[in-house]
Amino acid sequence: MESAASPVEHRAEPKSWIDYIQKDLPEHLDWWPYTLGAIPLTLFGLLVATGLLLTFYYVPSPDKAYESIEQITNEVYLGWFVRGVHKFSVDLMILFLFFHVIRVFVTRAYRTPGELKWVTGSVVLLVTLGMGFTGYSLVYDNVSYWGMTVVTNMLGTLPIVGQPLLYLLRGGEEVSGGTLLRLYDLHTKLLPVLLGILVAGHVVVVRLLGFADVRGSRRFHPFYPEHTMMMGAVAVGLLVLITDLVMIFPPTLGPPADPQEVASDVSPPWYFSAPYMWITLLPGPVALWSLLGAVGLFVVYPFLDRALSERGWPMTAVNAGVGTAVVLLVVVLMMLDTRM
Amino acid sequence: MAIIHDDFGRRRFLSQAVMGFGLLFGMGTLGLRFLQFLIPSPTPKRYEAVLIGAESRVPVGDAVPMDLGGQKIMVLRTNDGVVAFSRRCTDLGCLVSWSKEREQFVCPCHQGVFDKTGRNIAGPPPRPLDRFEVVKRGGQLYVNIQSS
Repeated sequence: MESAASPVEHRAEPKSWIDYIQKDLPEHLDWWPYTLGAIPLTLFGLLVATGLLLTFYYVPSPDKAYESIEQITNEVYLGWFVRGVHKFSVDLMILFLFFHVIRVFVTRAYRTPGELKWVTGSVVLLVTLGMGFTGYSLVYDNVSYWGMTVVTNMLGTLPIVGQPLLYLLRGGEEVSGGTLLRLYDLHTKLLPVLLGILVAGHVVVVRLLGFADVRGSRRFHPFYPEHTMMMGAVAVGLLVLITDLVMIFPPTLGPPADPQEVASDVSPPWYFSAPYMWITLLPGPVALWSLLGAVGLFVVYPFLDRALSERGWPMTAVNAGVGTAVVLLVVVLMMLDTRM
Repeated sequence: MAIIHDDFGRRRFLSQAVMGFGLLFGMGTLGLRFLQFLIPSPTPKRYEAVLIGAESRVPVGDAVPMDLGGQKIMVLRTNDGVVAFSRRCTDLGCLVSWSKEREQFVCPCHQGVFDKTGRNIAGPPPRPLDRFEVVKRGGQLYVNIQSS
């Protein structure tokens, strides 16, 4: 019977922080979908590394920004590769964060005592989206310039905080050189530090609060070396995938920003195209308030779940339904955006 | 939970509460000031007449885009006279273009459409295009634009 009992229970209580990190994991984490949280973490590391490299060449001024990206892409040794890895890493990070959120949502892994895991994780997602947008704007080709204009305008229409936020981001009423510098500062200083703290906080909270109970998952498997190896394998797999993607789709650069001529395709990055279409299709205030409401509900969802399940709602089915509906809606909106 | 009735507990609670509020207030004020530092205050607008040339510069039924000190405008000449509109779409700030055939301003971002009086007639724009006054002085046209 020795092997059936959880080995972790026989060990001494964890003492130092490294013991918390190395605490054994429930056996269900042996299953690949449960590495979905480790994937964005790996990509975050990759983004920090490639981002640091890019800052050695990037010049955040309207006259030089495009030129420096061109230099990185076409002249600097392996510049195209570093930029490509950075670009695909952020796309994949956001994609896998979405998958991670869907997995946690459908399995209701945020249930008590895991609310804080969800709340920190949801803020990580929001800040990552902010990183995505600010980075997208730095390219300063025409699509990026008009994308930046449109997204900051979108933020400017938010009730109460909209106008101050617009001024904060743009450094004035209009998109200018100051805007680029501000977005650069946000992208390379404030947001990465914030994201780093949040990611570390999320990991620590997950380890302290423990993983959600999964039916049938009684045993534990060691964090080291089993789970570490698994995460290592995921990281290597990601590196291979990203290298292939960069080789097949090397980063490109459109015509330079032209404040006099709107780019033919002013789509924001793919992860913003659903809210962008939502705002386009619905009347302004309805679209904005519903989006804000949705973001608010998203962050506090575990508490809503608790309140509803106490009233006897079948939340597993509700979540499956809501999750499917939201994913379908997002896909439809994204498809509409590609057609407009 | 036991309620502490002694002075020591009350004093400690009060002192911690005062310190806590003081700290929060101080940090809050500092944070607010930092935020004010980062958010530039809107500069007062004043109107300025800018020479855009003779009326003949704009063919009848056509519109000419111009950039007057950062203000992107479209000067349209119809049989009724010359009018100037901001090119900024009132939806999300893309630039509208003039379609001569349709006699409409069209925004390429979400197909917002404005008629020749600047009125929003289709698509998501919530209000008409901003309009600037055009004055004729000695055969030359001036546009009163907002400058900061």
